[in-house]
Amino acid sequence: MFGLMLQKMWHKRWMNLCLFLGITLLVATLVSFPLYEHAAYDRMLQDEFETYLANEGKWPTSNTMVTFSKRDKKGTTIEKMEKFVTELADTLGVTETQSIACYSLTASDIHSEMNRPDLSGKFLKLASMSDLENHAEIRYGESFSDTGITEDGAIEVLVEESCLVEKGLLIGETIIMDTILDSEGNPFRVKIKGVFDTSRNEDFYWQIDKLELIGSCFMKEDLFRQIFLGERVGKYNITCTYFQLFSYQDISYEQVSALHETTRYMTEKSAYRSVFRNPPYQEILEEYQSKQTRIAGTLRILQIPVLIMLAAFLIMISNQMYELEKNEISVIKSRGSYRRQIFLLYLYQNLLLTAVGGLAGTGLGKLFASVLGATRNFLSFSGESAFSVSFHRQGFLFALAGMIFSLICLTLPAISHSGITIVNLKQKKNAGRKPLWQKLFLDVILLGVALYGYYSFHKDLTSISNTVLSGESLDPLLYISSALFILGAGLLYLRLQPWLVQLIYLTGKKHWGPAGYISFMENRKNGRKQQMIMLFLIMTISLGMYHAIVARTILDNALENREYLDGADVVLMEKWEQIRDADGIATGAYREPDYQKYMTADFVKDCTRVYYDDDAYYSENKNDRQTITVMGIHTREFGSLTSLSDTLNEKSYHTYLNELARSADGVLVSSNFRTKYGLEIGDTIYYRSSGGTQASGKIVDFVDYWPGFATSRSSLKADGTAYTEEGYLIVTHFELLRKAWQGLPYEVWMTTKDGYDSGDVYDFIEDHKIQIKKYVNKSQDIRSVLEDPLLQGTNGVLTLGFVVTILLCVIGYLIYWIMSVKERELVFGVLRACGFHREELISMLFSEQLFAGLFSCLAGALIGGLTSRLYIPILQYAYASADQSLPMRMIVDRMDMLRLYGVIACAMMICLVVLIWILQRMNITKALKLGEE
Amino acid sequence: MDTVVTPKKEQNQLILVKDLTRVFPVPGGEFTALKKINLEIPEGTFVILKGRSGSGKTTLMNLIGTLDDPTEGSIWLDGREIGRMSERERENLRRKELGFVFQSVSLIPSLSVIQNVEFSLRLAGEKDQKVLRSRAEECIKHVGLGNRMEHMPAELSGGEQQRVAIAKAMAHRPRLLLADEPTAELDSAMAAAVTELFKKMSAEEGVTVLMTTHDAGLMGAADMLIELENGERING
Repeated sequence: MFGLMLQKMWHKRWMNLCLFLGITLLVATLVSFPLYEHAAYDRMLQDEFETYLANEGKWPTSNTMVTFSKRDKKGTTIEKMEKFVTELADTLGVTETQSIACYSLTASDIHSEMNRPDLSGKFLKLASMSDLENHAEIRYGESFSDTGITEDGAIEVLVEESCLVEKGLLIGETIIMDTILDSEGNPFRVKIKGVFDTSRNEDFYWQIDKLELIGSCFMKEDLFRQIFLGERVGKYNITCTYFQLFSYQDISYEQVSALHETTRYMTEKSAYRSVFRNPPYQEILEEYQSKQTRIAGTLRILQIPVLIMLAAFLIMISNQMYELEKNEISVIKSRGSYRRQIFLLYLYQNLLLTAVGGLAGTGLGKLFASVLGATRNFLSFSGESAFSVSFHRQGFLFALAGMIFSLICLTLPAISHSGITIVNLKQKKNAGRKPLWQKLFLDVILLGVALYGYYSFHKDLTSISNTVLSGESLDPLLYISSALFILGAGLLYLRLQPWLVQLIYLTGKKHWGPAGYISFMENRKNGRKQQMIMLFLIMTISLGMYHAIVARTILDNALENREYLDGADVVLMEKWEQIRDADGIATGAYREPDYQKYMTADFVKDCTRVYYDDDAYYSENKNDRQTITVMGIHTREFGSLTSLSDTLNEKSYHTYLNELARSADGVLVSSNFRTKYGLEIGDTIYYRSSGGTQASGKIVDFVDYWPGFATSRSSLKADGTAYTEEGYLIVTHFELLRKAWQGLPYEVWMTTKDGYDSGDVYDFIEDHKIQIKKYVNKSQDIRSVLEDPLLQGTNGVLTLGFVVTILLCVIGYLIYWIMSVKERELVFGVLRACGFHREELISMLFSEQLFAGLFSCLAGALIGGLTSRLYIPILQYAYASADQSLPMRMIVDRMDMLRLYGVIACAMMICLVVLIWILQRMNITKALKLGEE
Repeated sequence: MDTVVTPKKEQNQLILVKDLTRVFPVPGGEFTALKKINLEIPEGTFVILKGRSGSGKTTLMNLIGTLDDPTEGSIWLDGREIGRMSERERENLRRKELGFVFQSVSLIPSLSVIQNVEFSLRLAGEKDQKVLRSRAEECIKHVGLGNRMEHMPAELSGGEQQRVAIAKAMAHRPRLLLADEPTAELDSAMAAAVTELFKKMSAEEGVTVLMTTHDAGLMGAADMLIELENGERING
């Protein structure tokens, strides 16, 4: 049986190769998915942690536990806590990087042995911290001696600089802790040995609260343990603070939910819940989880059409193969083979194919995943993948699932075909009935469902963006209704296609030569055979077009929005130092940092100063306080380094700048001041800075959009529902605000020269020791948009899906035509014998391809365009970010379309060339002999 | 070939075959299908070409039908030497002056009976719908299938299909009708009827018919009998 199987497979090697390819693609598509997700999620998780680290300057994955050991508890609390802390990392399943125990005694009155009066009424805590000597950088004085005790028996302590200032201590001074007594009832004496500095915090050792540092002096840890935690542990009240830091780099996305759950149990339910402070990483994990759900849901939905087409391809090819082997099956059966045996023969054959295809597919899947990671846009890739892809258990599970699925697709047709005997094969031959879907009006039903979906979503656009902003994934029904629309319209076209061909036949009836006549008749008689391949073509093109526009639209809208909100290439605001009076009290005025350095910096092409206050306010009466954004600009400089599309506002961007420039006390305000407050051009508007200082100006014009102006901002309410706030804007002159607001900090907006990157900006910041309050870098922001897993994943999945379907389409189309030519070889021989020219034969096949291929392509393009027009305005809401300010528009890139049609045109050309090649090799006398066999 | 002088065309002569040899390359050598065949067929005759299978009948038919090229020798059709014709000229010859009936399939499966017959008229250059229709109907009635005109070939029996094939081959009034084993797949009664039909058509339409068969029972109908054995003509 095995020999027969191999022989059979070799005989139909081309078909089997196609099946192999189909399985490989199916498994690869399935496998690429978890592999990509794995890598993308890990990167996204790391990004979340790093963003927190960069913004907050704190270690994201840390736990802080505080407890209090009472005098009467004999230290059991401490014992239990220390044990708990050592086990915590294992319980959470993380890699601990640092564990810091901080013990401190209740604050004590102090006095100096030098009898200085300065210390009266001051308190100090005696404390210890694990490994302090190795982290404290001694600024003055020195560190502990080996014993930690001076020759005269005083405890050596180190204090932080601010403590020295606040408490008025002196280095080298010995202080008596009045209320901390030793076993004999004498107060402890401590000697201020040195002063340390906590500004260097590379390993995030300084978790301790700043207030604690100011109020405590630290002794050597082992000495503390010996004196206060040893035999006499029950004699003191001790506050115990434990800091546990663990590595966030080692957390993979698969651990997230377990880590989140365990931490929640620890902090909310366990016996230790009261000792925990809120761990900062919980919120990060929650944020990550909601993003991940959204991405996973969205990407899975987008993959469905490709998988369906792959399955259809497998079924179609294996059906074709059974069709070809029908006669053989009939013969074997008539000779008395059991139905089961035939079925088994096919099952073994399919098992072999699936195993080999699955193996190849798993490897190809890894490549697919890297390609997904390297996607820039629809059908365009950057040279390198954004991350490395590796195999894991889930990947193999998906491969297995893909193989089982393929096996089912291959074997299903065998079940019905193994029932064929010579008798019912003959019976089937003269049955020419309508396909089931036509009788059921499936096309009309699908279109109806899709359009119903369209209308119900269209009614409520804001709810789409709200559900997405609140962390849910793209509503599957939204995408599915667009896919159903394509399928329904495709089927409807198939229903109409014969009429269309008939119409063409009738209009030119007199002009068709014999070749044209034959192809019309062939289409009328056998057109139904082509429906599957025609549907394939239609689906490929319309989905491809729709997906290209979806991908382009969501990405370009996100990029445009980012560029608009960033305003300039680089925006930088320094931390301004407050000017203090002689008594050290802040005056509210600031010392302006040097601005010249920006003008001379290497990377800067142009720069300008901009007052930017997005927490200023406008009020008509006391009860109404509208938060507004105020910008003070140098019109000429600002205009030269920012830009704004002229389609956004009524007039061109520079018209507004000129209007403002002409009026020394003029302001440009957002249109909602007119619609909501009834203000008109020429009115004077009064507004206040976030600090409450008033300014005013005469309205010269109204604008809807302005570089850097957020027209609306969506966020989540406490109950998790999303809401949107409208933005208000006032733009005025820089100098006017400088006078009115008296030297408040401003931002510097810059354009960079070509060839400079963010590294140069960092160097500049480092070199000038600039302390940053706000930093925006457009190129970095754009990169993060491009690498956003949701956008990149969407682009990647759609692109890969398109490449796969195109491949299927070309193969399917080729097979269909080769089969159809081979099947008709005898007829072609007859035609040629009757004097049909070779060119007539080619032109006949060409018009057949025209009806089946080109018409389907046109229908596909039409359907794709229609679907885009209908659904993209809805779908883009699902991809809108929380700070979407610009109106979203559908973007059709001519290059995308050219690439799409180019690929398809190539595929059709290949088909035609192959067909012509087959015809050229055809020999009339040989073809005619076929009839005699 | 240059040394061969075109013989003067005899009165009434349609086909002249001179020293026709056809050699096929086969694995490990050559196979001579026809050896120095000479023939002369007057216009309007019903000729039966007889011989066992492998005797070279089909090869000779293909050569006369311009579907194949001889290795040596030449064929004149109504005074024109086939070997000197271009591919396009031969195709046009086949379209207008020749008719073919093959052993099993001579019809286009996607065309109905009448469309098949019309099609050979279309190939011969007829464009007038009315002429197409009336001539096709006439031919189909002639072969006795007037009630089957709108049927598809697959819906007909083997004998009926061959009769349609004859109607199709005759429709454009060819000068020569080549029928290669048209009765091979038919029972003897049907074979006799089909052969009778050829003879009748030949007499009524004045067409020269060249038909091959290995069925000795059909030979009686022929005006002229040519017998081949191992690629050689064995009767006068």
